[in-house]
This record gives sequence, structure tokens and C-alpha cells, in this order.
Amino acid sequence: MSAVPEPILEIKSVSKFFGGLAANSDVSFTMDEGMILGLIGPNGAGKTTLFNCITGYYPPTKGEILFKGQRLNGMTPDQVCKLGMVRTWQKVRPLAKLSVLDNVVVGALVRTGSVPEAREIAREQLHVVKMAHKADFLAGGLPIGERKKLEVARVLATKPDLLLLDEVMGGLNPAESEDIIQLILDIKKRGLTQMVIEHDMKAIMRISDRIVVLNSGEKLAEGAPQEVVSNPEVVTAYLGEAHV
Amino acid sequence: MRPSPQSRGLALLPVVLGVAAVVALAILPKYVESPYALQLMVLFFLAVIQGEAWNLIGGYGGQYSVGHAAYFGIGAYTVIVLLQSKGLAPWWGLFPALLLAVVVAAIVGSITFRLRGPYFVLASIAVAEIFRLAALNWKQLTNGAEGILLSGIPPLVIGGAQITDFSSKVPFYYMGLALAVVTVLVTIWFQGSKLGYYLQAIREDQDAANSLGIPLTFYKNVALMISAFFTAFAGALYGLYVGFIDPQTAVGLDISVQIVLTAIIGGIGTVLGPVVGAALLVALSEALRSNVLTDLLIGSGLVDAGSGIGQFLRDNLSHAHMLIYGVLVALTILYMPDGVLGGIKNQLRKRRSRAAAAGGAA
Amino acid sequence: MTIFLQSLLSGVLIGGAYALIGVGLTIIFGVMRIINFAHGDLVMLGMYASYFLFTLGNVDPFVSIIFVFPLLFLFGAILQKTVINKVLNALPQNQILLTIGIGLILSNTMMLLFTSDYRIISTTYSSGSFRLGEISVSTPLLLSFVITAAVTAVLYWFLLKTDTGQAIRATAQDRDAAQLMGVNVKRMSVLATGIGAGLAAVAGSLISPTYYIFPQVGQPFTLKAFVIVVLGGMGSVMGATVGGVLIGATESLAGAYISSGLKDLVVYVLFLLILLFKPAGLFGKSRV
Ligand SMILES: Nc1ncnc2c1ncn2[C@@H]1O[C@H](COP(=O)(O)OP(=O)(O)O)[C@@H](O)[C@H]1O
Ligand SMILES: [Mg+2]
Repeated sequence: MSAVPEPILEIKSVSKFFGGLAANSDVSFTMDEGMILGLIGPNGAGKTTLFNCITGYYPPTKGEILFKGQRLNGMTPDQVCKLGMVRTWQKVRPLAKLSVLDNVVVGALVRTGSVPEAREIAREQLHVVKMAHKADFLAGGLPIGERKKLEVARVLATKPDLLLLDEVMGGLNPAESEDIIQLILDIKKRGLTQMVIEHDMKAIMRISDRIVVLNSGEKLAEGAPQEVVSNPEVVTAYLGEAHV
Repeated sequence: MRPSPQSRGLALLPVVLGVAAVVALAILPKYVESPYALQLMVLFFLAVIQGEAWNLIGGYGGQYSVGHAAYFGIGAYTVIVLLQSKGLAPWWGLFPALLLAVVVAAIVGSITFRLRGPYFVLASIAVAEIFRLAALNWKQLTNGAEGILLSGIPPLVIGGAQITDFSSKVPFYYMGLALAVVTVLVTIWFQGSKLGYYLQAIREDQDAANSLGIPLTFYKNVALMISAFFTAFAGALYGLYVGFIDPQTAVGLDISVQIVLTAIIGGIGTVLGPVVGAALLVALSEALRSNVLTDLLIGSGLVDAGSGIGQFLRDNLSHAHMLIYGVLVALTILYMPDGVLGGIKNQLRKRRSRAAAAGGAA
Repeated sequence: MTIFLQSLLSGVLIGGAYALIGVGLTIIFGVMRIINFAHGDLVMLGMYASYFLFTLGNVDPFVSIIFVFPLLFLFGAILQKTVINKVLNALPQNQILLTIGIGLILSNTMMLLFTSDYRIISTTYSSGSFRLGEISVSTPLLLSFVITAAVTAVLYWFLLKTDTGQAIRATAQDRDAAQLMGVNVKRMSVLATGIGAGLAAVAGSLISPTYYIFPQVGQPFTLKAFVIVVLGGMGSVMGATVGGVLIGATESLAGAYISSGLKDLVVYVLFLLILLFKPAGLFGKSRV
């Protein structure tokens, strides 16, 4: 063990092909504990695909993923979750016929066999996302803003070390987005590490410690927020398709 | 949110009602001696057991097995074959029967749970058909299509005292009642357990469930094994009670369909849905079999007894129960996909959400 | 070797009818993504239709397909419009349960109307056969195979060369895209169900001279049709054609070399193996 802290996540030359299409090609970067990494890029750049590869949803075609020094290749999503890394879904996936509280209880049960204890954890997390008053509602009937918050509460309940948030602000109004930004910053204060996919550049600049830009599956740029936005290549890639 | 004393009292109500119902059922044979009534009750208990058992994997887990006849048949055949050809008393024969069903469930589950949606349904049917064909063709063991006629059940003797000689329907009544109560209690436990939460999450969205740390096949398998255990138990009771089994009536597709129907008609994923479904189905098929329905139609003046239709109904309706089941499946799916209790539960929840929304706004 | 060739030939000949059944199922699935569990019962209806045309009208079963196809086409189309159409967006398991219910209604209605007695059609050629070297060829099976091939050829022509056929294929490929291109997908669903039902019934007519006819005869055909369709790749017409012949041959060889009672069992085991190891089918591309 060296004195330098090991990165919590290492992505090493990850590629993912769908037939002839390279959704990710040769992507590498690392994340340190406690940081927020912004993952940006135009639609179809391969951001969600990268989440899918990291969390064991797809096996990467090439490359290696290390989480807390452990190789993840070949692991299933549930094993990855147990190790402490969990993702939200861009297209939200509430457990529609369960109540809001029960959705979060399901997340909490990965750390405990006791349902009462899981309910306690779930109530706390609903407080964190300010949805305690909706606990008994059916998840399927929530408006989009609250579905996104429910996604976050549910993954928080799994007690993760690393959170992957896929466009949790997509489709929200400015007030709701601001809530989510505060939530992400609060989560950071608690020492959790986060990788955030987001289209809203202002938001991503505010929250990110570091930004990785994907374009057509490849890593186009990486650096501090200011560095990245002044990178001419990023500007062309973005202005080509920007629709924030 | 703390439950108010009032709501705590309300929460006790189902317990009180449940205990009262079980006590009433337990003393019923003291007052009702009609073998016909007891027969109906035994059939009802058997249907409850099967419906509740299927409900665990099908209703809560959303894994629509249309092949539960396989486990029913394993229970019936194992106990009956061991009794008939080896003279093994059924209470001992139950152990290998249930064990076999659970082991088969684990194997079948490991294979078929990798499939989703319609593919899983098809695979479950194929598995049950494989067992039916095996029962049909393994003649030395099963006597093939002719089936096995049980020559008798040895009396149950405990500590020198004879408990029962199984000559009346009463012992089957109590066994059926006991097992039905156990399956309902197991379902209540299941619903509030980690296992139950995980199965419901799997039903709602397998990928989301998987990402939240749920190993899908493992939990589906556990639920299927419990389900197979009780389904096989029901099969064994059925075989002993009727005293005759053959591949069609113990492992046929009709059995699988009846089991699914019992659960969906009452309401899948609810504790009492299969009880309601069992009551409806048993009452209905009895009404058909005994021509009660025809008599009603004639009595009400809708159909003329002397007419061709009246005669036709009298001759045929008594063995039309599979036709009626088909109509019921279709109607349930088209107009009541959540079943009787599911529909009520949805209504209540809607009302509660509305009340909560109104309260939140105030 | 003779046994092998003999069973292979009978299997391929019966496989022609299986192919029609499978193609019907795959067209319905392709257009609506619904698995029709009443499919075997449509085969049964075709058998009964031919039986009554033969006994009451003296129509040869092979000729009867001229009446049976339109009759069952109409039946399928009405069934789609009145019932199946209502569950197009339901859960797949509910769709299956609905069609299982329809199948129960069909077979049990037939039982009420015509009892569960076994019936046979005895034409002059029903038990006819001729020898080809050491192999005996059953006349009715050979005739049925030839007609199957002709029906299949007409079907391919319809699907590939006519506008309606192309619209059906477009709908099967991508329902939404077809709708955007101006295809009336609702009409295609009705047509597809009609054609699927008609083909299943025609297969029933063609095998009616060599089978016992009774209300429950359809059930095994339903499962077999799935095996065929899964083998050929769900939604692939070509795959179902080849799959039908392959399953016919497999079953016949299993009957000869293992036991005739276990030939269906062999087919179902094969089915599970395909589902597990080759879910996209041997030929087609899975669109699931
Ligand atoms: N399961 C899949 N099969 C085939 N192509 C896919 C699949 N998932 C994503 N893609 C393709 O990969 C590319 C990247 O998609 P995605 O990762 O969703 O982009 P982003 O999240 O950056 O918008 C797109 O062209 C998309 O069509
Ligand atoms: Mg995306």
C-alpha cells in the first residue's frame, strides 16, 4: 500500500460494441474518493452505455473496471451493488405497484435482513429527498420530478460508496433541478463519491470537481470544469448538438 | 407517522376475524355431517392451498408458471406409488414427495428463470408436459394412462392409539383445513418479509431490482421451492382423498390452468385473493356439476325444461366446467386483470392517496 | 438404414403441415407480439371443418381447404377484432392467459357440441401407400406435403410480392415505423390473425385423413408450434418453415429410435435446450 490513496474507481480502456457500433471505445479515467465527476457529451455519446458497463449490466467488450481495487468484469449488477456502487436510470424505473416507502425499503434490504430496520432506513432517505409526506403513495402515480427523487432515495438506501446518477435533472423545472443540485451537494458532504451524467452545463459546472467529455463513444476531454469548457474541441462537439 | 390507537384497533380486526373463521371451520364437522358438504370443503381447502402456493411465485413474483401441475403430480404420484407398491404409509411418503418437488423446483427454476415474459411461461408449460408424458410412459411405476386406484390407507396410530382409519371425510377435512391455514399464514409472513419485498420488486421491474442488489434467479428459486412444496403437499392430499390418480387428472395442463385461475380471479399478490378465488371456483364448478345452475335457469323461467335447450343444458353443463374456466380466464384478463381483491385494493389505495393529497394540501 | 430413411421421410412429410402451423403462429406473433395459445385449437377446428365437409358434403379433405381457409380466416379476424385487440398492450403473461382461455373455450365447446368421441375420415387413399425401393410412402401424407408446399409458395408470393403482404412484413419488422410510413397496422393485425388462423386450419384439414379427430387434439400442436417458431427465430416465416420440417423429422426419428410414446417428450426437451442455449433460434434474429 502506498501513501497516495487509491482511486475508488478505475476505468481502463473500456470499449463496448453493439454489432458494428462502438458505443464506447477505449475510454479510461479514474475517480478519487469523495469527488463528483461530471460525465457529459451529446446524445448518443455513450454515457448511459458506460454506466451499464460499469454496473455489470453489460459485459464490456474490452477493457477493465476496478472498484475499490477489485476487478468488476463478469460481476452481475446485484454483486456490484453489494460492493457499494449503484446507479439510477435515465428512464426512471419505479416499482410502480409498490408504495414510495416500499420502493426505498427494497433498496435498504440489501444491507439488512430485517424489514423494520429497512423501513427505518427508508424513512430517513425519504426525508433526505424531502418526500416523507408521499411515503404511502403508489410509486407509479408520481409526477416525473418526484420519480427522479425517488430513484435517488432508493439508491441512497443501499448505503453506497459510489453513486452513478444518469440525468436525474432531465425533464425537471428549474426549482426541481435546484433541489436536486442541493441534494447532490449534500450527498457529497456526507463523503460519498458521485458520477453525474447531466445535460445542463450550468449545473454540471457548479457541482463537478472534474469533468469527462464523451463524444461518439470516445473520451474527448477530461479536466477541471473551467479547463473543459474552454477546450475548443468540446465547444464544437457541444455546439453542434447543443439543446439544453 | 405513528399509528393512532384507533388504527391499531383496526389492525387487530383482521386477526380477530381470521381466528374466528378458523375456529368456526374447525368445529364445523361437529355440526355438519353431510359428506357432500364436507367434500365441497375439502375441495375448497385444496384449491386454497394450490392458489396460495402459486401466488407466492406467480402473484408476488410475477413469474406466471403455467406448469404447476408438475409439482402437484409429483406430490400425488410419489405418495400414492410408495403407498401402493411399497406399502409405505403416506405420512412417511410425504417426506420424499415434498423433498422431490422442492429439488425439482430448484432444478427447473435454475433453468427456466433465465427466461423472461412469454418465454418463461412457455418453458413452464413444456416442463409440466414433460412430467405428464413421463407419467404416461413410465408404466411400471405409474401404470400409464390407466392410472392407479388406491386400495386403502393404513390407519394412523400414534402411541398405540388409533387416531383415524381414514374411512370418513373428516380426517381429510382437518388436514385440508390445517394446510390451508398454514399456507395463508406463510403468505402473510412472506408478504412482510425480505423475500416478499424482493419478489414484488422482481415482478415490477427485473432490471431495477437487479441494480438494487437483488440476485434475481436466487430469490425466484427460493419462492418457487416454497410454492412447489405446498403444491406437492396439495397433490398428495388430493391423491389420498380421491384414491385415484392418472396423468391427465394429476399432471394435466388443466390442473395448471385451474391453479393459475384460482389465484388471478381472486387477485394476485394479495393474501386472501386465492381464498376468494377458490371459493368462487369450487362453488361454480359444483353448481355446474350438480346442475344447480341449470335448475336455476329453468326455475327462473329463462329456460324451458322441456325444450331442447333445457335438455341440452341438463345433459351437458355438468361437464362443462373447463369451458366455464376458459370463459372466466378470458373475462378476468379482459375486464378484471387485478382480480376481485386486487380491484378492491386499488380502489382503497386510490381513495387513501386522494385523502392524503387533500390532507397534504390543507 | 431403411428405418432411418423411412422415419426421416415420414417426418419430413408430416413436417410440412407442422410448418404451416408454425408459420401461422409466427405471423401472428410478428405483427402483434402476441403468442397465440389457442393455435392448436384452430388446427382442431380445421380438422372438424374438413370432417363435416367430408361426411355431410362429400368434399375430399384436400379439396376442403378451399372452404376451410376463408372460414377460419374470418373466424381469426373476428377473434382479433373483438377480443385479442383489447390486450395488445397488456402484460405478455396476461396475453398468454387470454389465449389459453380462448383455447379452452374452443376445445370444450366442440366437446359439448360433438362429444369427445374420436372420429376418422376414411377416404379411399387414407391408408394407401406405395413403395419407393425399400421405403413405403404414405399417399395421404405425400399429397398433404405437396399441397403444403403449394400453399407455402402462395404465401411467400403474397408476403413478398403484394402490397398488403409487404405492409404485413413492415408491421412485423417495426410496428411504429410502419405506422409512420402510413401502414394501417390495426388492419394488418386483423389480417395477420386471419391468415394465421387460416393456415393452422388448413394444416388441420391436410392431416385430417391420417389423424383421429377429437376436441382435445389441438393441445400438443400448440406447444409444437412454439417449438417450431422458437427454433426458427420468433417472427421469421422462413425459420418457421424450416423449423416445421426439422421438428417433424426429429419427432419421427425419436419415435423410431427411442419410443413412440416419448417422441413428444424429446421435442419438449429440445425446446428447453433451444430456449436456453439458442434463444434467437437457429436461423432467425431474435427481436425480443
Ligand atoms: N442495447 C443496445 N443495443 C444497440 N445499440 C445500443 C444499445 N444501447 C445503446 N446503444 C447505442 O449506443 C449509442 C450510445 O447510447 P447511450 O449510451 O444511450 O448514449 P447517451 O447516454 O450518451 O445518450 C447510441 O447510438 C445507442 O443507439
Ligand atoms: Mg443516456
